[in-house]
Amino acid sequence: MNTILELRHVSKFFGGLAANSDISFALEKGMIKGLIGPNGAGKTTLFNCMTGYYPPSRGEILFKGTSITGLRPDRVCRLGMARTWQKVRPLVKMTVLDNVMVGALCRVNSLVKAREIAMEQLEVVGMAGKARVIAGGLPIGERKKLEVARVLATKPELLLLDEVMGGLNPAESEEIIRLILEIKSRGITQMVIEHDMKTIMRISDRIVVLNSGEKLAEGAPAEIVANQEVVDAYLGESNA
Amino acid sequence: MSIITEIIETLKKTPPARLLTFLALTGALFIFPQVVDSPYALHIMILVFLSVIMGGSWNILGGYTGQYSVGHAAYFGSGAYATMMLMQFREIPPWFGMLAGVAAAIAAGLIIGSICFRLRGPYFVLASIAATEIMRLSALNLKDLTNGAEGILATEIPPLSIGSALITDFSTKAPFYYIGLVFALAIIGVTWLVQHSKLGYCFQAIREDQDASHSLGINPGMYKQLSLTISAAFTSLAGSFYAVYIGFIDPTTVLSLDMSVQIVLICIIGGIGTIFGPVVGALVLVPLSEALRSNLITQTLISAGLVSEESPVGQFLKENLAHAHVLIYGILVVVVILFMPEGVLGFLRKRLAERRSKTA
Repeated sequence: MNTILELRHVSKFFGGLAANSDISFALEKGMIKGLIGPNGAGKTTLFNCMTGYYPPSRGEILFKGTSITGLRPDRVCRLGMARTWQKVRPLVKMTVLDNVMVGALCRVNSLVKAREIAMEQLEVVGMAGKARVIAGGLPIGERKKLEVARVLATKPELLLLDEVMGGLNPAESEEIIRLILEIKSRGITQMVIEHDMKTIMRISDRIVVLNSGEKLAEGAPAEIVANQEVVDAYLGESNA
Repeated sequence: MSIITEIIETLKKTPPARLLTFLALTGALFIFPQVVDSPYALHIMILVFLSVIMGGSWNILGGYTGQYSVGHAAYFGSGAYATMMLMQFREIPPWFGMLAGVAAAIAAGLIIGSICFRLRGPYFVLASIAATEIMRLSALNLKDLTNGAEGILATEIPPLSIGSALITDFSTKAPFYYIGLVFALAIIGVTWLVQHSKLGYCFQAIREDQDASHSLGINPGMYKQLSLTISAAFTSLAGSFYAVYIGFIDPTTVLSLDMSVQIVLICIIGGIGTIFGPVVGALVLVPLSEALRSNLITQTLISAGLVSEESPVGQFLKENLAHAHVLIYGILVVVVILFMPEGVLGFLRKRLAERRSKTA
């Protein structure tokens, strides 16, 4: 198996609260892995641990075979693992193009080259026409796409998408789904947090389910749907 | 090397009209002392240059990187004290004192930055004030080193000569004018370079959202420190220049909170995060404070015949307006901040854009 990222017994405690406890799984190169779970299951915390915002309390994270446990976020990004934010974080006073250029400058020092890379990524997400617009004025759908373009400009090998479809209407979501599949076709591995079950089942190759900070299940979408524990976690235990 | 060619490319792309205006203005400023003989006019210009250097250097840290330091007197004082102490107590010419000042300011910046940059927003502001207060109190109490509250008075400035050729003996204001002008142009140039390079993008990304920029491969700690280093170095130059020009420094002027606030105001009034904001701020604030101090307003009102000099109103204004200059200055600053939140430059630009879109 061609593993790009491996989590080994990762735990994160906030005081006495275990936001993540003993989570292990591996990501295969080029695949889309869904990460689901009820609110408060620890999905975003896990992303924060993986990208260096929180050092894990216990356990080890291996990216491309080397440990990245405890590395700063900028180092993780430079190694090739990038993330988007659940609550989008555009650089509001800068233009759309400048926003994406900041991402591109992670790899190049030249503004001219950064501008080229940035325009390419804006083409990918279909926002090249908005390059000169100030990012603060964008509606939510375009902010989400900008977030993806910006993170693509850092040339990641592994992309962590934290609810990129949250708050979008069905047409906008459909665009993002197309975008995720396009990114997959470019060989970039993705891990996707999403609440909409229909979507996550459709795009994921494999799914990890978290509940109360623990890994509840892992498997192909069909297996997850059939897993009684998962159903219980979402709908409450049945009395039948 | 590719960076340099890129800079030249960017310069080529700037509208020639703008470039020519800038060059023409610079040329005019270089000729100014040959044409105008009034020492008072030169004095005002020197103060404007000083303010441009102060505001411009704060702009790098506050305007571009978004770290609102209200403790820049620390770096201003570093420059002023290093220069004066070396000149008066060790007889080292201010040229070398100035460099020592830059080194001291950068060192102070490293220490202050390593502590204060852990904090964000209002907490950073408070910490920057506190750090500067420590420096002020140290300067006040280390009497053997700094002369304490008595301050340091420059008895004579050693003449500047290269080899045996005397360049200037600083007996007139003209040499100060040229030094101020060159420093002011230097900070404008550095700001331009920052804005048109990767550095500027990283600084601004940190200003907009530190966590987001961290996730995009930017190391906020390093870039904030870099920004402070540039900013502190130039603030220190302003401090050295001030010390030699005024000829007297003490902790309550060069290391005071007033000085820190003054530095911030130049930038905020002019327009934060823009290349020429500090220039506009200096052009507004220096003449304003001079006019208020010398009671030009009352004189104008009287000479325009609006108020009779003998009338009670005229008498009142004549006696009190000059004393109230700080109050009026403060009120005007509040008005500008309330009605032009993006500074005078931002306000003018917006108006221009509106007018353009109306005619179009």
